[in-house]
Amino acid sequence: MEAASRSRLSLLGASAWAVIAGSLYLIFFVAREAAPEMGGQLQRIFYVHVPSAWVAYIGFAMVFVGSIAFLRTGQRRWDLLAHGAAEVGVVFCSLVLITGPIWAHPVWGTWWQWDARLTSTLVLWLTYVGYLLLRGLATDPSRAGKPAAVLGIVGFVNVPLVHFSVYWWRTLHPSGPTPANPTEASGLGGPELAAFFTALLGFSLLAAWLLGLRVRLGRMADEIDELETNQAVRVAG
Amino acid sequence: MSNLTWLFIAFSVVWLALGLYLYSLGARQRALERRLEALKQSEQRHNL
Repeated sequence: MEAASRSRLSLLGASAWAVIAGSLYLIFFVAREAAPEMGGQLQRIFYVHVPSAWVAYIGFAMVFVGSIAFLRTGQRRWDLLAHGAAEVGVVFCSLVLITGPIWAHPVWGTWWQWDARLTSTLVLWLTYVGYLLLRGLATDPSRAGKPAAVLGIVGFVNVPLVHFSVYWWRTLHPSGPTPANPTEASGLGGPELAAFFTALLGFSLLAAWLLGLRVRLGRMADEIDELETNQAVRVAG
Repeated sequence: MSNLTWLFIAFSVVWLALGLYLYSLGARQRALERRLEALKQSEQRHNL
């Protein structure tokens, strides 16, 4: 069972890296250079910036679902899933907050603007960093699950706010392709969309693999806690 | 700096950050495996 799970996880990791390698080829050798007002060559940051944001959204959605399921059932596996998804979500949200300003500095002439998209993304990141701190600083990790789950549920309210902020408020941030209008809204053509969706798939597989590795660490930590408790009980007895 | 330099910096930061996260997962896993192994050996000694 354990060996099969490890082998599935290894296969997922290998698939993720293979798709990412393909996406890098498409990004640098197939996708055309963007217009100068979008940064020209620099616009290729978009192919890692947007998939990172997508993966962070999915990660935080999994925290939301895992937290609700944990509060309802009390099953530890949901708590492990939520904790792992929060960590992976924070990693990718950090990449969004790093790559965005690197693009903005030469294109906008400033690293940061306190506009709706950027500010709400920073608040989202801070919320889930707070979630991880809450779990990491708890003296008794088993008691941190419920308050963390509440934070994980409340924090998710910000995700649709981040996503739709570019449509609801005036913002400097470019709006991306929409499912109904993938090319006109973004100015992307076929080769660029192929690069974008391949990168999106690659990042999604990578995040799923990282989540699998992180959940496995949580299970191992639980097993250690159980053995240590048993030994402590035996020594006390 | 040129746009290509910024592009290089951005991609380097992304892969470096992901590499560091993977390294941290690996380091945590090795530490947990060592602790688990020690605990299991201690259990075995106790059961003998």
